Amino acid sequence: MGIARYTLWRLVQAVPVLLGVVTITFLLANAIPGDPVQTMLGPSPSQAEVASIRAKYGLDQPLWQRYVNYLLDIARGDLGRSIYYETPVTTKIAERFPKTMLLMLSSYLFAIVVAVPLGVISAKRRNEPTDHAARVVSLIGVSTPSFWIGLMLILIFVFKLGLFPSTNLVLPWADPADVTGASTRIDVLGTALHHLALPVVALGTLQMAAITRIERSEMLDVLSQDYVTLARAYGVRERTILRKHAFRNAQLPVITIIGLQLASAIGGAILIEAVFSINGMGTLILTAIYNLDYPLIMGTTLVFSLFFLVGVILTDITYAYVDPRVSYGSKEV
Amino acid sequence: MHDPLLTVEDLQTHFFTEDGVVRAVDGISFDVAPGEIVGLVGESGAGKSVAVRSILRLVEDPGRIVGGEVRFRDQTLVGFEDDATAADTAGDDRSDDPGDEPGSQPGRPVPRPEMLSESAMRQRIRGNEIAIIFQDPMESLNPVYTVGGQLREFIELNRDLSGRAAREAAVEMLREVNIPDAERRYEDHPHEFSGGMRQRVLIAMALACEPSLIIADEPTTALDVTVEGAILDLVRDLQERYGTSFVWVTHDMGVVAEICDRVNVMYLGEIVEQAGVDELFHDTKHPYTQALLNSIPRPDETVEQLDPIAGVMPEAIDPPAGCRFHTRCPDAREVCTRRNPPCRTVVADGRPHRAACLKHESAFPEADYWASRPIGNLERPAPDARGDGDE
Repeated sequence: MGIARYTLWRLVQAVPVLLGVVTITFLLANAIPGDPVQTMLGPSPSQAEVASIRAKYGLDQPLWQRYVNYLLDIARGDLGRSIYYETPVTTKIAERFPKTMLLMLSSYLFAIVVAVPLGVISAKRRNEPTDHAARVVSLIGVSTPSFWIGLMLILIFVFKLGLFPSTNLVLPWADPADVTGASTRIDVLGTALHHLALPVVALGTLQMAAITRIERSEMLDVLSQDYVTLARAYGVRERTILRKHAFRNAQLPVITIIGLQLASAIGGAILIEAVFSINGMGTLILTAIYNLDYPLIMGTTLVFSLFFLVGVILTDITYAYVDPRVSYGSKEV
Repeated sequence: MHDPLLTVEDLQTHFFTEDGVVRAVDGISFDVAPGEIVGLVGESGAGKSVAVRSILRLVEDPGRIVGGEVRFRDQTLVGFEDDATAADTAGDDRSDDPGDEPGSQPGRPVPRPEMLSESAMRQRIRGNEIAIIFQDPMESLNPVYTVGGQLREFIELNRDLSGRAAREAAVEMLREVNIPDAERRYEDHPHEFSGGMRQRVLIAMALACEPSLIIADEPTTALDVTVEGAILDLVRDLQERYGTSFVWVTHDMGVVAEICDRVNVMYLGEIVEQAGVDELFHDTKHPYTQALLNSIPRPDETVEQLDPIAGVMPEAIDPPAGCRFHTRCPDAREVCTRRNPPCRTVVADGRPHRAACLKHESAFPEADYWASRPIGNLERPAPDARGDGDE
């Protein structure tokens, strides 16, 4: 099987998973106590009003009927209309998703760029001061909640030092006319990075710490393997051993962890968006839940699930690319 | 006789663990002549692997070479100043990679000036003069690179070949070790090879660098018997054609008989008997060697029951006082619990046959073994006290 077919196969496998996600989300959303219509119309609406709203959103139909309708709608790419915003769910998501995407990908970039060298250096200098420092940093990183880091960053860098803005997020590809104090694309990029810095550190620290720890332990493991000793026995330089003979092998579990950390990154993003007042998917899903906005809850959850699934599939493909033994399942190990 | 290719003298490698010092290799001496296959035999944990890794200075933390000498031709691979431990003045000779070089730190032996630096070891010795084959062919090849790529990398490092020529040399070597369809297999990854085939690849790797000495660290232990036989045949054939010397580490007396010219028997970090392979098998001088021989089936003798060595090998961290084998030795006497005999020549004519056993009175007159009381080890009758009339 080539890598293209492998990718296709993984995508096909994702369909039943998504179906499961839709079903569970649908049932869970409907199991939330409370009545969305009541939430919408206030304490004492008229019977007629209630009936018309129920009919408009299809809430007067039995549960199974609504489920089937919802599935059919999804198949057409329609996620329904938000009860709270009274706009199509897809419009709302299209508006919010880029910010969350930007936040998460930047955090991941930050985490990987810091963690991989840190883990490698830590392993190479095992039990030396550099290693101890790296381990303390990563231990604190994995055990500190991201929202707390976010609040501390705001406290120090926004209120005390006044170096960074604390709210909202500017998309780097935004039109300069829409961004205050920016006249060129470069200005927009600068403003975007300036806004992005604190939330990225807050959200990325956990991933960074987790990746550092696994990178270190994997490098240590690989460096003690026979094939590394063999390379040494044939006169390969330490630098080459580290770069060529150990690094690639150590990345396999790291790739897995990066993929799995996506789930916690999504959870973290919701909190970080609240802390930094970012109008992204996280704020959207919270609004949806507070207002019992069924279509919006389901829509946002579905998008997050899709995002996670794509992440996992990418992880698998990367893994197969790095490790020839995976070989897309065509050969026995 | 030729000058030896490799000389190991009083080599000591200890492991400094949290529980104490493990004297894994505790003063062993042996040599290897050009074109010779020298065996290093012993049970698991005897220190064989550590000993051969010490030759290439590949011992890893917490292990450290703490004494002795290793010479290869006229080069000093390991060598320390006599009776000197470094003062705090150290630090200036660690310009190379911070490997496991026995550098000058407080309490560590001081390397002699002629001892090769880490980079000299890397450039001049490892691979191009002395190559190594490890026990486990499954673990010795890097799973993410092709077999050919790894072979070629080592060839480029250790011979004046590169690019196309190195590739051709690699394919040629794969053919030499009887890997069918070598040209195509060059591109395959290690997981596409069987254990025996991988060990062939590792042998090819060793030979491809054209070293004068190959250290084979139990290279057939992980293989099944038929594959082992084929590999031994291959090695013997290649050895004859290339004239390479071997240090062959094994715990299998059968392999020793099949392949070695001379044998060193190791027990708990020490060499207890050294002899030519015929002398060792037919005129065994050390009870441990005898016990090893008794424990293997021999096709030429009908034996009712195999005779395993009684007891288990003591921990190297806390070796018995006196002769280290006395706790399991059927011939042990009271004096053996007090004296740890060095390896001395017990048969002088022909190739020297050396053993570290007090019962050879001619070599150890001071011990007065026969006057000492048998300790009745392991409820086995001591051999009849005829003195050492068999010598």
